[in-house]
Amino acid sequence: MILCLGLNHRTTPIELRERLAFAESKVPVAAQEIRALPGFEESVVLSTCNRVEIYTAHGMENAAQQGLGALFDYLSLHFDLTPEQREALICYRLSHADAARHLFRVVGGLDSMVLGETEIFGQVKAAYTLALKTGTTGRALNKLFQRAFTVGKHIRNNTTIQRGSTSVGSVAVDLAEKIFGHLRDCHVLLIGAGEMSRVCAQSLLSRGAKSVFISNRNYERAVELAAEMKGQALRFDEWEKAVHDVDIIISSTSAPHFVVTPELIQPMMHKRRGRPLFIIDIAVPRDVDPRVNDIEEVYLYDVDALQSIADDGRRERQRALTKCEEIIEEQLRKFGYHEDSSPATVEILKDTEAPSIEAQS
Amino acid sequence: MEPSRLLLVLATLAFLGGVIHAIIALKAGRWKESRWHLVPMALGFAFQSAFLYLRGEQHGRCPLTNFFEVLIFIGWCIVLLYFLIGGAYRLSLLGVFTAPLVATLQIMALLSPFDQAAVARSSKVNPWLEMHASVALIAYAAFALACITGVMYLVQDYLLKHRRIHALFHQLPPINELAKAIRRMVLLGVILLSVALIFSFKINVPITNSKMIFSWCVLALYLVIQLLMWLRALSARQTAWLAVIGYLLPLASLWIVTK
Repeated sequence: MILCLGLNHRTTPIELRERLAFAESKVPVAAQEIRALPGFEESVVLSTCNRVEIYTAHGMENAAQQGLGALFDYLSLHFDLTPEQREALICYRLSHADAARHLFRVVGGLDSMVLGETEIFGQVKAAYTLALKTGTTGRALNKLFQRAFTVGKHIRNNTTIQRGSTSVGSVAVDLAEKIFGHLRDCHVLLIGAGEMSRVCAQSLLSRGAKSVFISNRNYERAVELAAEMKGQALRFDEWEKAVHDVDIIISSTSAPHFVVTPELIQPMMHKRRGRPLFIIDIAVPRDVDPRVNDIEEVYLYDVDALQSIADDGRRERQRALTKCEEIIEEQLRKFGYHEDSSPATVEILKDTEAPSIEAQS
Repeated sequence: MEPSRLLLVLATLAFLGGVIHAIIALKAGRWKESRWHLVPMALGFAFQSAFLYLRGEQHGRCPLTNFFEVLIFIGWCIVLLYFLIGGAYRLSLLGVFTAPLVATLQIMALLSPFDQAAVARSSKVNPWLEMHASVALIAYAAFALACITGVMYLVQDYLLKHRRIHALFHQLPPINELAKAIRRMVLLGVILLSVALIFSFKINVPITNSKMIFSWCVLALYLVIQLLMWLRALSARQTAWLAVIGYLLPLASLWIVTK
């Protein structure tokens, strides 16, 4: 019988998740300790920043409550929880098809904070590989995890759950990559040092953008941000000189008029020798004259356009969710589970009671 | 049906199959980068190659004896360059745009009345003439790929400018890469056509004025495009338009130069 006891970003606040996370070096020992508990034959421990889950194979078919209780006790003891913490701890306790379904959803990115994210696939794979090397897996969990990876790949290849971007920062990065290809030769200019422009610039830098220039009316703030992002600060009256050297401009000043105009950009484009220019206008009221978008090889996106693309991305992923659930149910049947339990209801239990996920949220 | 024509029909079906699959996948938003997309292109290319081999054997020379065979040879060169270029610049969606053009060329060829499979086998082959014709047609294929890449550039530019961020946008290559690919294809075509025309000075057989004038006109057109690109006098969008519209001249000249 397969069991899963876990907690994630939906059930448990970050303060408690931090407390209950297994250090990577201690995961093999924990997996061995769990397997050594009475009745347990196999175990895999998955511990990421958003979830802690224990998957086990238990020898007795009708001892789900007993087995899940033992796992809960192990978790409480391992992390030395006080009675109050133990009382406050909310975990989901799943068995049989529900446990398998949950793993399939996790691997497919359906249970992630950002629907459809792909990082979790690698994290589950790493957790399983570690358990395999430690020798805590056997026939049941090997079969389950192999099937889960097949499901994850199937979802990735046959649905659009991972397509598009879901945040303004990732939309900006995706658009930049569709304009320039790789970003390693791209220089970014921030005009104004607002929070959202900082997020966009960070996203671009994390994807390889070469450098960032920051210009702000408050020069000290520009210097501070430049230090944080390992960029270069410019005085506010200097940014126009830097425009022809940069590929991406992110503007977020509080100016009541247009700061970037066609009169500024048009002559500069001749000097760029065919290299496109991507302008992100995050300011409200807008900093960039919309006529700039009419200039060839200039691509202007304001905050509404970016938000609308991010919303489309989220909708696209939501639309794909039904198809993903169908794939999971089909794979569960192939795996040998024929129970007809609803995939959306993940039972979450406190130590003493059993409210549903809907009741908790 | 003559075996070589049957091979051509099979090649055309393979390309059409690739196009239909791609259109359905793109419409459903299911298109993904995959090596499997190369299968119809590879199959079509294999059948095309077999056709050209059979015809070459029949004629005892490069199978460029009539307009029909020239169309097929150009189609073959386009697919060959697609395989060489597509991988290098990761423009695999180029196949979606290449396959319809090649399929159209082959359907035109199959429906045309100009095929004469039973051309007498040549006893003496003029290597300069063979080289001239084949290199010139590879240059025409390079211009065709520049044209296709130009179409892709214009589509991607439109989607970016009008913020139409949907399935096709995600699958098209970055616009900067497309602009570079156009420049490289035009340059390749110009070099190859120049070489082909240099070969023509070595041919003893007289070539009609109209053929030479058209060939030099095509070279002149692309040299001008190349020069304008080199001087950066054109925007990438204008270059793409020129690559697309400019291809009408080599296309129209085919009729004359293959007579």
